[in-house]
Amino acid sequence: MASPPPVVPYTAAPQLDITTAGSLSIHPHPCFLRQSSASSNDQFPPEVIIMRLQATLLWLASCVPSAVAIYPDEVNHVDFHHALLGVPTPESTFFLRPPSSSNASLLYTLSEDSLVGAINPRDGSPLWRQNVSRSSQPDHGPGLLRASDGVSSIVSAVGDYVSSWSALDGKLVWENWFVDESLVDLELLHLADPHAVPASKDTVALFGGKAGVVRRLDGESGDVKWEYKDESGETPFQVSSSSTEVFYISLQSGLLKGTKVKVTSLDPVTGRQTRQVTLNSESDVSGPESILFVGANTASPLIVWADKSQKILKVNVIGSKKVSSLNIENTSGQEIRSVVIHAPHQLNSLPHFLVHYQTESSSWAEVYHVDLNTEAVTKAYSLPRVQGWSVFATSNKDANVFFTRITEAELTVVSSASHGILGRWPLQTPPKERFLHAVAEVVAKGESVAVRSAAVLESGDWQLIRNGQNEWTRYEALAGAQAASWAEADTQEDLAHQLQVEGHESIYGAYVHRVKRHVKDLEHLPEWLKELPKRILTSILSDEVSNLDGFGVSKTVIVATRNGRVYALDSGKHGAVSWSVKVSQGETWDVKAIITQPGYATVYPDDGSSVTLNVTSGGIVKRTSATTKIRSVAVVSDDGTPSTIGINGKGAPLEPLSGPGFFVTSSDDGRVLGWAASNNKVPVWEFAPAPGQKIVRAVARPSHDPVASIGKVLGDRSVLYKYLNPNLVLVTAVGDSSATFYLLDAVSGNLLYTTTQEGVDTTQPIASTISENWFAYSFLAHPVHPSDAMGYQLVISELYESPIPNDRGPLGAAANFSSIHDLLPLPHVISQAFVIPEPISHMGVTETRQGITIRQLLCYLPSTNSLVGIPRPFLDPRRPVDRDPTANEAEEGLIRYSPYLEFDGKWYLSHVRDVIGISNILSSPTLLESTSLVFAFGWDIFGTRATPSQAFDILGKGFSKLQLLATVVALGVGVVFLAPMVRRKQVNMIWNA
Amino acid sequence: MASGPLPPPPPPHWAVAMNTPMPRASKAANSIPNPPGFSSRKESNKSRAQQQSQAAAAPQQPVETDTLKLKKAWEIALAPSKQLPMNGIMMYMSGNSLQIFSIMMVFMLFKGPIQGLINTNSVFAKFETDGTKGKLLGVKALYVVMQFLLLALGVWKVNAMGLLPTTRSDWLAWESERQPMERVYFALG
Repeated sequence: MASPPPVVPYTAAPQLDITTAGSLSIHPHPCFLRQSSASSNDQFPPEVIIMRLQATLLWLASCVPSAVAIYPDEVNHVDFHHALLGVPTPESTFFLRPPSSSNASLLYTLSEDSLVGAINPRDGSPLWRQNVSRSSQPDHGPGLLRASDGVSSIVSAVGDYVSSWSALDGKLVWENWFVDESLVDLELLHLADPHAVPASKDTVALFGGKAGVVRRLDGESGDVKWEYKDESGETPFQVSSSSTEVFYISLQSGLLKGTKVKVTSLDPVTGRQTRQVTLNSESDVSGPESILFVGANTASPLIVWADKSQKILKVNVIGSKKVSSLNIENTSGQEIRSVVIHAPHQLNSLPHFLVHYQTESSSWAEVYHVDLNTEAVTKAYSLPRVQGWSVFATSNKDANVFFTRITEAELTVVSSASHGILGRWPLQTPPKERFLHAVAEVVAKGESVAVRSAAVLESGDWQLIRNGQNEWTRYEALAGAQAASWAEADTQEDLAHQLQVEGHESIYGAYVHRVKRHVKDLEHLPEWLKELPKRILTSILSDEVSNLDGFGVSKTVIVATRNGRVYALDSGKHGAVSWSVKVSQGETWDVKAIITQPGYATVYPDDGSSVTLNVTSGGIVKRTSATTKIRSVAVVSDDGTPSTIGINGKGAPLEPLSGPGFFVTSSDDGRVLGWAASNNKVPVWEFAPAPGQKIVRAVARPSHDPVASIGKVLGDRSVLYKYLNPNLVLVTAVGDSSATFYLLDAVSGNLLYTTTQEGVDTTQPIASTISENWFAYSFLAHPVHPSDAMGYQLVISELYESPIPNDRGPLGAAANFSSIHDLLPLPHVISQAFVIPEPISHMGVTETRQGITIRQLLCYLPSTNSLVGIPRPFLDPRRPVDRDPTANEAEEGLIRYSPYLEFDGKWYLSHVRDVIGISNILSSPTLLESTSLVFAFGWDIFGTRATPSQAFDILGKGFSKLQLLATVVALGVGVVFLAPMVRRKQVNMIWNA
Repeated sequence: MASGPLPPPPPPHWAVAMNTPMPRASKAANSIPNPPGFSSRKESNKSRAQQQSQAAAAPQQPVETDTLKLKKAWEIALAPSKQLPMNGIMMYMSGNSLQIFSIMMVFMLFKGPIQGLINTNSVFAKFETDGTKGKLLGVKALYVVMQFLLLALGVWKVNAMGLLPTTRSDWLAWESERQPMERVYFALG
């Protein structure tokens, strides 16, 4: 009687893992469910059940490697996540203290890409994020975000969509759509009303469109309380409110030139117009861009504009007709490039404001006080002119207003009342780039103040500076990365070159070369010996898992962002940014590919230019100028240095290439073309799908896709040979309600296999991938027959040489095959479909060094913002349908087919993380066969280490080197003590005999 | 009463010497050859008589002895065939999994026949006389066949355990992937 395989620890302790809900829970593995169902089945005699149990246990043993989850102590250790918001906008970023038990304030922002988020100012981690770009209008701006102290919700508006979110946890309070209108301005209403509910404040929103409409929205429900329609055809500009009135500011185009500013006062309760004031501004104001500032929710609402020559500043207190003129004292001798007004946004603060002037090379500021009774504006003091740029932030503590100034060298805080500097801190790490705007929070304690300021750099990074100290940096520019690639440092390059030389020499020559190389290596011996004690000590104290940098686990990823920058992230240091460089001359670019060679990475934007960077330092090594617009880049990597060829929009290579080889390209108009490398005029073949179909995607096998075994060993130990051809293209074409998948031979363009799925929702994502001898795709299927069910489906197809085991197909054991000269045999395809709980938008496959480790199908699930790795054994199309596996099949590891494939909690590589907007999944092998690096980008950046067959080549955390050493030492001591005793006894025995 | 009967006189020396066994002969004494006609065996009268009769019969009927020897040889040659069913059942019962017991049993199964084959001649040496020499060849052949049968059982068992590289999968590692003659560079944007 065979004893069951040693699976006891596994059955005894179900694995702990983290579900997406964020709680720890114990997941019964599917095989446990199977086991219990078999034993509860009373129609079988006990022997059968025992046999089944045995088979199940056997299978269990075989599936242990595939059931690997991420353990809680590996979180943040093997994986990293940049939860990004996008570059914060200056108008919608602020510190706010949400009403809660804690006194800490949070940093809120609405980014340029319409993401609302709350950031913990302590460490820069996001507390919550919400995408508010749900407007039906395609080209809306970033939108606006408003909040007020002591109110539990914040209000955002983008396009025609207004929504309110709980400030503490980001839950939706209400939302409202205003069709055909787009938001112009948004303010919270601060009424001096004793009956007002403090928990929420009503919102005043100004919409443009056919006519300007001012609406008051209820703070609890978002319903419209009243609306005021402006039918005069003026340009709606802003709303502002005081404690007693709501002001609607519109711009009235003058008859000849210029624009008049019209202020309409509205009753906040009824929305009726109370009075109207038109300001004489037509000589200075030409449009909305001329007006520098409209104070909103300040104690003294202001309208500020400057004359065209930027000599005089005009200030109007909203509601009055009086326009004060202030002279701009420009002693710098340079033209003023920008004038920015900073005023507090609180109703109870002092009516002071600051005007910030910036010229090409210097900046200064002036502080003005407004007398509320006389409406007179007087200059209080001015802040000194400094060379270079500076940014200002306003903050207030009760009625006191503080201005924070950040320059290239220092951070200073002044009070609005007097020019005395309250605090001055030199910047510990001088910024490499210019700051664009900042927000600050000042805490005053008696005479001294403390300040923390969140500033946005020109690069899109967001930095928090506390008293001159850089606390954290969020690399918001990484949001929406365009391309990424794994890079290899050039440390191994020399050795690789040497080994190549040895490989090509004669045996004797190679031997001599090798001896010489080793002798030369001896010069590193003293350093090596010096480092040895430290290495031994660290290897004893830290466990193996945490110290794998020597095994290629620490790799650099080169990422190109939309704003023309290139970042290097170190996957070994939790995705920390090693360097970032501004590469493109323009504001934005469209990167098509990043190609890496050891030590270097080359970025190819779509204009045909290229920039080569040093991977370790980020220095630009080489730059080629723009030529023609390209669509993609082909890498020709025969032995030696790889070269690249651009592919234009028609899918044609830009230049012919001497030598053999073929190109397979896709064109802008959705065709797949094959070219001989030597001819870029006429394609060898062109693939057009059936009429009425459109190609949406074409994929080929990954460039690194090693196959460990060329056949699949069946239970009876016969072999089903895999159909292996590196030149395969999987083309996805969609019709009206169908999706067709074509498998092509890339050399000849021959169709090898095709399958059509009916009832496919073509508006939903259709993901596909191909690797080794299999391909997978997923789609949303509508019922075609009445018995069908609607649902997301995942189909897996495996390609074999022949349906008969031990048959290698017509080509037999030939070492080579040619798609041109031979008639390529068609593959035998076995497919199986699974119903999956949610859509898959993008797919990838884990790559390991030699392909021995089983592969995982990496899928991004956009509806739960997570990344799963489905082990291939679950996606085996040979799983027996409607019957239990036979003994042979069980030995092979096949489990009974079940049509519903639930994503096991253990498969979630992203576990609790909310990874949003992934559009690309990269995988890279490491020197460890068990480990594959995964990097996903698109909006967020997520990286992890996948071990599909468990980390079989790494000592686990449970392995104690100290214990091992202690045991060896104890045994040694024992031997030392016992040896003389034994010797004496032996001698005595001889004497006694 | 004082003059009771006297104790019996000690037995004479020769009587004592006769009743005590001879002292163990030393090694040197052992190597001294016995005088001709002396037999060291202490046998009962009956067996001595039997031997006498046998010894008396042997020179008279050598053909009969050869037949007897041959019969004995046949028995030895056929002995492995009796093990065959038992071994078969044991092998069948021990299962095909690779465990210490089944491996040991298979090892014993191979050890027996191989030793038997090596010792073929020595097993039959005592039956070999001038008369039986020719007939013993057939016996030896049968003996070898029987040992081969046992070996075959072992091979069958090893095969059942999956240790013989008889299937295609055993040679899969030596087969290599078919390489394409053409190289394709993909640029699917």
